[in-house]
Amino acid sequence: MKPVRITRVSVVSALTAATALVAPSVAAAETTITVATHYNQEQMGPLLACFDQYTAENPDIKIEFQQAAYGDFLQTILTSRVGGTSPDIYNIYSVWAPQLADAGTLDEPSDEMKDWIRANYGEGSVGAATINGTLWGIPTELSVYQLFYNKKMLAEAGYDAPPATWAELKEIAAAITTKNDQGVIERAGYVYGPSVANAVHVYYSQMYAAGVPPYSEDFRSTNFTTPESIEIVRRMGELFAEGITSNTNITDDFAGGSAAMMIAANWNKAELQSVYGDEFEATVGIAPIPNDGGDPGTMLYSFLWAVDSTSDAKEESWALLKWLNEAQGDASLSCTGEMLNDLGALSGNLADLASMDTDDSFTKPFVAAIESGAAKSQPNIWAASENDRTLRGYIEQVWAGNMTAEEAMAAADAEVTAVLSEQD
Amino acid sequence: MTDTSPTASEQMLSAAREDLIDQEPPRRSLAARLSSKAVAPWIFITPMLLFGAVFFILPLLYAFFISLTRWNSLSAPKWVGFKHYEYLLTTDPVFWQTFWNTMYFAAASIGIGVPLAMVLAYAFTRSKGRTVWRSIYWLPMITNVVAVAYIWKFVLDDRYGLLNRALGFLGLGAPGWLTDPNLALTSVVLIFVWMQLGHNMLLFSAGLASIDESYYEAARLDGANERQCFFRITVPLLMPTTLFVLITNFISGLSYFTLMLVLTDGNGGPLRSTTVTALYMYKMAFEDLRMGRASAVAYLLFAVILVITLI
Repeated sequence: MKPVRITRVSVVSALTAATALVAPSVAAAETTITVATHYNQEQMGPLLACFDQYTAENPDIKIEFQQAAYGDFLQTILTSRVGGTSPDIYNIYSVWAPQLADAGTLDEPSDEMKDWIRANYGEGSVGAATINGTLWGIPTELSVYQLFYNKKMLAEAGYDAPPATWAELKEIAAAITTKNDQGVIERAGYVYGPSVANAVHVYYSQMYAAGVPPYSEDFRSTNFTTPESIEIVRRMGELFAEGITSNTNITDDFAGGSAAMMIAANWNKAELQSVYGDEFEATVGIAPIPNDGGDPGTMLYSFLWAVDSTSDAKEESWALLKWLNEAQGDASLSCTGEMLNDLGALSGNLADLASMDTDDSFTKPFVAAIESGAAKSQPNIWAASENDRTLRGYIEQVWAGNMTAEEAMAAADAEVTAVLSEQD
Repeated sequence: MTDTSPTASEQMLSAAREDLIDQEPPRRSLAARLSSKAVAPWIFITPMLLFGAVFFILPLLYAFFISLTRWNSLSAPKWVGFKHYEYLLTTDPVFWQTFWNTMYFAAASIGIGVPLAMVLAYAFTRSKGRTVWRSIYWLPMITNVVAVAYIWKFVLDDRYGLLNRALGFLGLGAPGWLTDPNLALTSVVLIFVWMQLGHNMLLFSAGLASIDESYYEAARLDGANERQCFFRITVPLLMPTTLFVLITNFISGLSYFTLMLVLTDGNGGPLRSTTVTALYMYKMAFEDLRMGRASAVAYLLFAVILVITLI
């Protein structure tokens, strides 16, 4: 019967069409994970290759990379959150974490993941990813502060070893400093810089070197008014008052060959290597932060991988992160470790750190500070950016001679403590 | 006897009249009403009104609401009433410093920039190749502010800057143009004046072109010299342009911060000497995530601008 035959043909056609339609929709059901970092496409090279490998091994996963400049990164997160287009994975600066965690932006890792992180990362780097006892992510790049000194300048001035105490530092810096005909310091014995970190991270490093953490254990009050803190800031002011340094002379001058010493982080290595070339090892020396005896100490800060709490692919994101931070196959470094190694940076991952080429005279002291535990993680205080800026403002008052160290640190303590008391 | 009763036709006519009186006037169609002269203007301006409501009025109202809350843009706002305003006006040690920096910047930039632009525009109006001169002075306006900042950083560098080298050649000292807290804001003002000069000159040139040459001819016939022509004719007749330039420059000066951001690596230093209120607000919102307090700063700045503009 003709009508029946037509119906069968129609049904068969419809099923065929439906099958054809269903096939792509099944393929489209793959999970997309968006990874946002401040590293650019070139710096991300090794990780992007790993993304390809991961998606080849896991065909149901698609990975997209988003880059935002470091200065715009936090704003990018905020905007994407407001717009409902948050990336699934962030690489964030540890001091941003307290507010992001408080606002419920970050997903807390599972207990299994936390155990894995604690087992594979150094104490200092785990501390940098921990807020009020809760671990929020996987530490990545570590930046450790030490004293940088120009070996040739010190030798010219008759010093064959870096300063071990602040008094020695001041003496050497004074001997090296020269001024031009107009009275401007042309070659500075010691330099700070214009950024908040150029003053505040240096201060924190010196506080740890003096054996006093800059904040109380619960991060609700400061140790700014302790005798050690006052002394550190007073000595900073002395360098300005005695014409050993000035606002004109900044950390960039170290690479420019017109500054002899500064306290800075290891990420400067790549730039200094490119500036000094073959003379790098003969010129740039690294030493512990000068203190007045006792164990060496300094500060480190870290970036960390974290997962967005609104992600539809939290489980998949954590799985990807674990894979990216474990050496795969015969590789000696994890994907993240390989990227950091190419950047000349240090990893918080102990296995990666052990496999990295860290035997050169520049890197050794930084690694030693991490491995010995001398490098303490930057305190993940509430409203770190605001508080650090406040602190820099008062330190600058001492540099300018407008306030004594006691006055400045008492004022900084009052302002910062007021902000710290805002946290729940 | 005359029969006074209405005829049948008269009765029908009367009934028809009554029907007409009872009947409502015919309704005009929607299309007819929309095309009437009373409605048409509203139709034309509706898109603009909607645009204004969505992009100006609503954000203004929302910003005011936010200024009464504590909000970090990541979680729900918490109502705090007028506490931000109270804090800014009575407790915050930085707000008033930035406010006076802003006032100094705006006042100094018009105090130096407006007379300079007027004099130069007057001079170039009477010079040969005025178009070339105007184009040269206009160039900073079309140059990216980041490029402007970097060029001036090189010029004003304490040690190696062109300016201090020149001063050294003359046996003079080397001021810290951007590193001395007492000088830094003045340096920024001078750079801003340089940037704005072409724009202001163009406005004054337009004003000068509208002054009839016969005034000058009459004045010269009466024995007036160039100085008198300038002060007795040009300046008074340029008053509407001057007022416009003063107000627009002052308002833009009050809310400007890009140059400070780039020149000082975002710090507004040294010693917050170049931190103007708009820069303080920007950092408060996007670095400190204090959207509520930053909105309160914006409203305080808005109030100041409004009052000054009304005056």
